[in-house]
This record gives sequence, C-alpha cells and structure tokens, in this order.
Amino acid sequence: MSSQSISAASGEPFEPLGVIWSRVSPGLASARRLVNTIAELAMAGAAAVAAFLTGSLWWLAATVLFVVLAVWGWWLIGRQVAALGYAEREDDLLVYRGIMFREIVVVPYGRLQYVDVKAGPIDRAFGIAQVQLHTASASTDASIPGLPPSEAARLRDRLSARGEAHLMGL
Amino acid sequence: MIGAVNGAVSGPACGVPSDSVRWRRVHPLTPVLQSWQVIVVLLVIIAQELGQNLTQGEVPGGRSLPRLGGWMLAGGGLVLVVLLVVIGLFAYLSWRFTRYRVTSEALELQQGVLSRKFRQAPLDRVQAVDLAQPVLARIVGLARLTLEVAGGSDSRIQLAYLSETEAHQLRNHLLAAAAGVRYETEEAPEAPEHFDVTVPVGRLIGSILLSGLTVWIVVVAAGFAVAAVVAGSGGILAAALPVALGGGGALWQRFAAGFGFRVATASDGLRLRHGLLEHRTQTVPPGRVQAVKIHQPLLWRLRSWWVVEVNVAGYGGDKEGAAPSNLLLPVGTRDEAVAVLSFVLPDLGVEKELPGVVVDAGLTGSGTDGGFVSAPRRARWVDPIGWSREGFRLTSNALLVRRGVLHRELDVVPHARTQSCGVTQGPLQRKLGLASFALHSTAGPVSPKVDHLSSDVAAGLLMDQVARARSARAVAGPERWMERSDPLQKPPERPE
Repeated sequence: MSSQSISAASGEPFEPLGVIWSRVSPGLASARRLVNTIAELAMAGAAAVAAFLTGSLWWLAATVLFVVLAVWGWWLIGRQVAALGYAEREDDLLVYRGIMFREIVVVPYGRLQYVDVKAGPIDRAFGIAQVQLHTASASTDASIPGLPPSEAARLRDRLSARGEAHLMGL
Repeated sequence: MIGAVNGAVSGPACGVPSDSVRWRRVHPLTPVLQSWQVIVVLLVIIAQELGQNLTQGEVPGGRSLPRLGGWMLAGGGLVLVVLLVVIGLFAYLSWRFTRYRVTSEALELQQGVLSRKFRQAPLDRVQAVDLAQPVLARIVGLARLTLEVAGGSDSRIQLAYLSETEAHQLRNHLLAAAAGVRYETEEAPEAPEHFDVTVPVGRLIGSILLSGLTVWIVVVAAGFAVAAVVAGSGGILAAALPVALGGGGALWQRFAAGFGFRVATASDGLRLRHGLLEHRTQTVPPGRVQAVKIHQPLLWRLRSWWVVEVNVAGYGGDKEGAAPSNLLLPVGTRDEAVAVLSFVLPDLGVEKELPGVVVDAGLTGSGTDGGFVSAPRRARWVDPIGWSREGFRLTSNALLVRRGVLHRELDVVPHARTQSCGVTQGPLQRKLGLASFALHSTAGPVSPKVDHLSSDVAAGLLMDQVARARSARAVAGPERWMERSDPLQKPPERPE
C-alpha cells in the first residue's frame, strides 16, 4: 500500500515545498528482485558449470561476480523503489525517481493526451500495475510503476477526469 | 439530408450536413503515376532478358529468329503483358476504390480494395497542409496534398494525385476551414503572401560545402587516400566507392531539397516553397509551431550563416525522403533567421529591451548578456567549455534556451506550447549544487535543455514554467485561430 511522507526542505528541485509524495507498493521491489535475481543466478550457474568443466579460475571469478551482482541488485532495487514517488497537485502531477541520478518530471493535467495502465504476468503476480502518462511530447517520460491495481485504476480515472477538465489542446 | 439542395455538388462547401457532401475521386492519371516506377523496372528486366535471348540466339542481322529463341521471346513477352495487366489492374482498382470528401468538420478518405480503410481528419486539428509535386507529376500538372493532424506520423491524410488547381483550391479551403474563416465565394480565396526570404543557390551550395557532413566526407576520403597510398594498392579505393556514393547522395539530397527555398507569410500561415526535382509547398498555420531552433555549425561562422528548424506536431521527426519537413530556413544570414523567427513568433514578449538584442544575446552572447540566466561558474567543473553559453531567458511569452560554444544554438518555446518539464541531477552535479532543466516539446529536431543550472534556479524554473505554460494557454487563441479576428483582413504584423 502506498504510504505518504511530507518533504520539508525547499530550494532544492527534488524537494518542492508542501508536496506530499505518494510512494509505490513494495510489491514492485519484490517483482524486480525476482527477475533480477533469477537472471543473475542463471548467469552465475552457467559460469559455475563452465568453471567446473574447464577448471579455469576466470570462470570461477565470473561466478562470484554474478553472485555479488545478484546481492547488490537486491539491495539497489530496494533503494530505487523506495526512491520512487509521485504527487497529485491541483494542476499537475509530479513524478520523482532516482537516488544517484535523480529526476523529477512535472506534467500539467491539461497536457495529458491519454493514460495507459499496464500489468504484465509478473506484475500481476505481485499485485502491481504501471500507469504511464502520455502528452503530445515523446520525451515526457512520466511513468509510475508499482501501483496496486486499485490505486492504478483510481489514478487513471482521476487523471483522465482532470485532463478533460483542464484540456488545452496542443 | 435537409440541406442537400444547396451548392454542395459544385465543390467543398462550409456548413453543409456531412452526409450530403459528394465523394470525390483523385485524378485518373494517379494509377499511372504511382506504378510507373514498377513498370520501368519491369521493362528494364525484360529488355535485358530479351537482349540476352537475342545474342544467344545468334541472329544474323536480327532478321529471322531461330525457333527456340522465338518461343522464349514470345513467352517473355507474354509474362510481361500479364504482369503489366496485373499491375495496371491493381493500380486501377486502388484508384477506383480511393475517394475523399471535405465536410464542414473533417477531411475524409476511403481507401483499399480488399481491406477497406476509412480515415477522418478533423479540420480544427490541422497542423500543416503540404503540396508536393514530383517531377513526373509536375510535367502532367498534378500534385499530392498531405494534411497533417497531430496524431503521430500515421495520422496524416495524403491525397495523391489531384490536379494542380484542385489541390490549390483544396489547400486554401482546408486552411480557411481550419482557421474558422467563412467565405461567400465559390472557392476559398488564396491568402495573399507578404514578406519573403529566399535562399540564393550560391549560398545554399556554400552552406553545404561548409557543413559538418562535408567535413566528415573530406576526412573519410583523406583516410581512404592515405590507406591506399600506405597499402600501395587501389583495392582500398574500390571499398571507398559505396561510402563516396552515400556521402555524395546525402549532399545531393540537401541541395535538391533546399533548392529555391522561399519563406513567405500569408494570413493562413507560413508558406515554404522548395525543391529542385520535387517541388514542395508547405503551409504551417500560425500557432502550430511548437518550438524553434536557430543554430550554426562551426564553419558557418565564417559567413555568419544560421539554420532555422521547427517542431510541428504531425511532422514528427521523420524525414520524408529528400526533404525534411522541419526545416524552416536551410541557410540564412542572422537577420533573415531572426526575421523568420519573428514570422513564427510575432511577439517575443520582451518588455524592456529590444527583442533583437535578446535574440542576439541568445545567438552569440554568453554569461548574463541580454538578461539571460546562465550556468554558475562552478559548472565549469562538469562542462569546462560549454558552461558559459548554457543559459535561459524568460520573456512573458516564451522561454529562450541558449547553448553551444562551437555549435551555437538558440531554442525558443512559447509558454503556451510547453508540454511538460523535468529536472535531472547526477551525483557530480549534486556535489556542485547543479541541476539540468529540460523542456519537453513535440517530436522534432528541437529539444530544449539547459545543463548545469544552479539547483535552486532549476527548481524555481521547473515549477514556474509549468504555471506559466498553464496561464499562457488559458489566454491563448482558439484552435480556429481566425475566429476572433477579421478573416483575411489583417496581415500579420510585419517584422522589420
């Protein structure tokens, strides 16, 4: 479920005043961890088999590397998902992501052309969906992954309604 | 079918119920024009086969054919005839099944023999109307009309081919209808054109020779020459042939597309004419330009030339063969570039200074010239060369973004055309208290971005720009831009 936290500082682009950030579901972290861990461990397994067959130390090193990557990915995904946030304001929607490389996107409701809700099989297993906002610009990269389906549907309807109310044309 | 009595039959007319408007066909010569390339290719293949047959058949003087050769010839001829008939039939059928009509609300097109396709373009969403005449079409006096609506590259309606007069009338009507102009006469009046900028051939050639593409070709050619000398064999030069052809082709395309380029303003929009072999006339209605970019490749500085490009929804970033539609001026002096900018954006919204001063500062200035807000000095740690040019200037109507020390660039985006905004920050920028601001425009060559602003400036710009875009849009004109003013009476403000 999405929890809410209020940011305090201002003057920073990534902590606008008075914005209440909604967080995404921890199910997103589980889903991403599953995919990442399976991929890394499969690579590690392949490298281990190669190490066993060839007896080369390089393959052994590769095995260790992939295991380390899997563990690191586990930790990193947790941080990344915790850093995802969005906020519905009166006239626009804010989407925030990233810790090392941070990004914030502001999409005015009046510029929304349409809103997509996507959920793949893994997403559905973890009870999450992705809401993607589309404006007339292809460079508007505003997607909110990891929303509970009910929240995703609510957000989609709300955004569509607000988009219509604010509609500006091109 | 209430209003079916009035003049709807004689042509596209306003205010007639849509079901009473007559469907029309494209010009009967269309199938020939559209399939001539296939036919020529076929003829060439057949001619080759024929030639081989003749030589293999050892015909003395070509008078009497040996039996076998004769049969093969006849067989080949038969295949040719059948193929021609099939192609011709298909072309004819596709012509037969293509029809269009203009209602008071939309342009409608029906196509397809087996799978029927129906497409409707609402007239108040017109982004641009283009006329194109490839060589052959020009010889027989036909033209292709393309109507761009803002729905990606697949949403355009293309009518090929119409007679020249019909295409012109339709263009004028579509633009008038899109503008919300009502006219009493039978045909839509052609909007008078006012000011124009032309590109002399000499300058076009010069600009191509001084472009980055030419430099690249010269470098590659030199590389091949050196390799050939070092290796002491001509084989390498043979490998250079495809590269040379590609480079030469690209240069030729630029020349052919930019040949005779002319920009004019009419009350129904900006009119661009260009093309050596294929003539094109583009009309972009006022307010349809989403963003403008004036830039200057390094070598053009010798002559102080500039190129102007635009984002128009519907043109996308796509290049239609030889002529990219996004080019507003392939090469021009600084004054011409500024004049073209003022056609697109008659009011830059500068209160205190002269607009020219601000634009000049954007083109060539650095630091805080012309009221620009620039990247702080500490930005040199992440961008030692370019930091002094990174900057933006706000006016009441637009955001000007300036960048590039070697390849200078100025982007102008009207507030009312801002789609969305974003700020990004990498770890190094964070240490230095910097952030990059990006403004998202529709697809096209212009993507305004200011790197390494002070992070509080970027934060303020992000929030304010969205608010500014909203309020600018609220006071902006209607989608049918002529509905508020007198139709075809007032020419747009003439720039100095």
